[in-house]
Amino acid sequence: MWLVRPATHDDLDGILGLLQLAQANPVSSTLPATAEGVSEKIAQSVQALSGAVNPDAGQRLLFVLQASDTGAIRGVAGIDGRAGNGQPFYNYRQDSLIHASHALGISRRVQVLYPSHSLTGLTLLCAFLIDPDLVGTDAFELLSRARLLFIASHRSWFTDETVVELAGVKHDSGAVPFWDSLGRHFFNMDFDTADGHSGALSKTFIAELMPPNPIYVTLLTEDAQQALGVPHDRARPSFELLQREGFQCGEYIDVFDGGPVLEARTNALKSVITSHRKALRASEREDGDLCLLATGTGAAFRCTLAKVVDTLDDAIQAPLAALNVLGCQSGADAWVTPL
Amino acid sequence: MLVIRPLQMTDLDDLYQMAAEAGKGLTSLPADRELLERKIQQTRATFEQDCAPEAGLYLFALDDTEQGRCVGVSGIQARVGLDEVFYNYRLSNMVNASKELGVHVQTPTLHLTNDMTATTEICSLLLSAAYRKGGNGLLLSRCRFMYLDDFRSYFSDKVFAEMRGVSDAQGRSPLWDALGSRFFDMEFGEADYLTGVGGTSFIAELMPKYPIYIPLLPAAARAVIGQVHENTVPALNMLQAEGFNFNGLVDVFDGGPVVEAFVRNIRTVRDSMNRHVLIRHRPVNVDVPPEDRVMVANRSFGEFRVTTVPAACLSPDTISLSQEIADQLRVESGDSVRLVRLKERARADR
Repeated sequence: MWLVRPATHDDLDGILGLLQLAQANPVSSTLPATAEGVSEKIAQSVQALSGAVNPDAGQRLLFVLQASDTGAIRGVAGIDGRAGNGQPFYNYRQDSLIHASHALGISRRVQVLYPSHSLTGLTLLCAFLIDPDLVGTDAFELLSRARLLFIASHRSWFTDETVVELAGVKHDSGAVPFWDSLGRHFFNMDFDTADGHSGALSKTFIAELMPPNPIYVTLLTEDAQQALGVPHDRARPSFELLQREGFQCGEYIDVFDGGPVLEARTNALKSVITSHRKALRASEREDGDLCLLATGTGAAFRCTLAKVVDTLDDAIQAPLAALNVLGCQSGADAWVTPL
Repeated sequence: MLVIRPLQMTDLDDLYQMAAEAGKGLTSLPADRELLERKIQQTRATFEQDCAPEAGLYLFALDDTEQGRCVGVSGIQARVGLDEVFYNYRLSNMVNASKELGVHVQTPTLHLTNDMTATTEICSLLLSAAYRKGGNGLLLSRCRFMYLDDFRSYFSDKVFAEMRGVSDAQGRSPLWDALGSRFFDMEFGEADYLTGVGGTSFIAELMPKYPIYIPLLPAAARAVIGQVHENTVPALNMLQAEGFNFNGLVDVFDGGPVVEAFVRNIRTVRDSMNRHVLIRHRPVNVDVPPEDRVMVANRSFGEFRVTTVPAACLSPDTISLSQEIADQLRVESGDSVRLVRLKERARADR
């Protein structure tokens, strides 16, 4: 069975192994690529869930996907309670201006990218990384949506709007058209270097190096214009999953690769709407619907996939194995939502 | 004899023909009869003092008196940007630096400005091809500085000229193709023409208002920012010799540079001197090279005349003129004229 739970310090090696696996098919992730970076990220999450961090100040949470039989770490996913974590959160906002001359009878829509901090402080899904073999499987959906169940079960910790950045277009050659047309001129470094800094360093360097004035889209290369707000092919499964959850492409894009930022009203997310709280009962039944099942709060949060039979009262029946994976007793409270 | 005088309505045909020969790129005098007629009317109103001299348009004709024909024109616009809005890009530098990363990047940018508003522009220089010799271009261009000198109070302390930028034989401008055309549904020539006929409001309406980061432009466009058209190189050299310098502004369409100078520092102004006219009947050899000629101006506001005479006519207090020249200059014995050498000797001759 699969289990999603908050990361602990013991998961470091497993996550590093996963990072190595992912290098064959790299997709930009906000998960740091170094041992120090991952270690710090785990520490932040552990500390946040120990209750040491006020949710309003922004908790940085990290979850792992674990195979319950082998204990192997197969995926990672994070939530930043407040995007930017106390610093500005950078995006470009796509907007249009109408340049019109009455005398000449000309009216033209001019697309402009405005530097924006507007999404700063919103709840952000981040640091998603999964074993490439699992992309598109139930485990993939579990890992991504477990975070949403965490949000549903800890709703007051998070903001009314939730956003996700998706990796933008990157050619197999390593060229990132949006970066090569825009960011490169100002940051004087290649995309991977900048992306690495973005995961590892404070965002001060973005403030220092990003062009302060709006950008006319028409002045970007054709290739870059095509890439605006378009997710990387390998981010497409996530894109589709998140769209099914109710996330939508808005007007914001990533400052580095031009990838889309998806936005949703937190209360309108499918996992939040459809999940409800029930008492968990162990049963021997093998039928039922495959559901995400989550128990526990904070550091004790656990989420798994199991066939569940709903009952007329405030209880559901789930296999004993699921209860074991969740580490709970019959009668425990659980959040449940269909897969 | 070639004499500078204020432009008049009878010059319209000659002016139109010169404008037509110049083709696209000369923004201020497009080949448009109606427009040229309006310009002449404006000029007449200026010289006849029917309008405030500070608001005037001063167009001068180079008159071939034997042919009775206008063979060149040059102008001064006393103030730009007061009726319309006058645009340029300012070539500016932005630095982004990160100590943490050891990155320091300079980004040249173009900012849309109206910085030349209320400044005097020297403009509209056209000279018939057959007359581009013997210092005629110098006479036509520099007579304006003599005028500015004598009537300084009507003009701004600083004067400027917009130099034609780079375009190819078909009239295509690399900067326009990379920048302007992205915002205007028209050709460079058409946009340039519209500016010339005085409708600049469309620039405000259609031009990008935010700074343009030059590195985003293709190399061909970057290369021409602040550069002049090859046909304009002599004009630029002449203005530079007068003390004009690039002031960091460029044309919004073709990227041609703006050069400027303080009137008091212009070489023609600094080197000019006064003499009293002495009319002599003794014949003078007028057929001398430009280096041996001086420009003589009659210092009249409304009947301004300038011509050239041999430097040999000069004495410490006076300048000797034939009756014919004096008549052309509309001066009499004893009148004060202002003069300056037409052309510096080449360095090796000194």
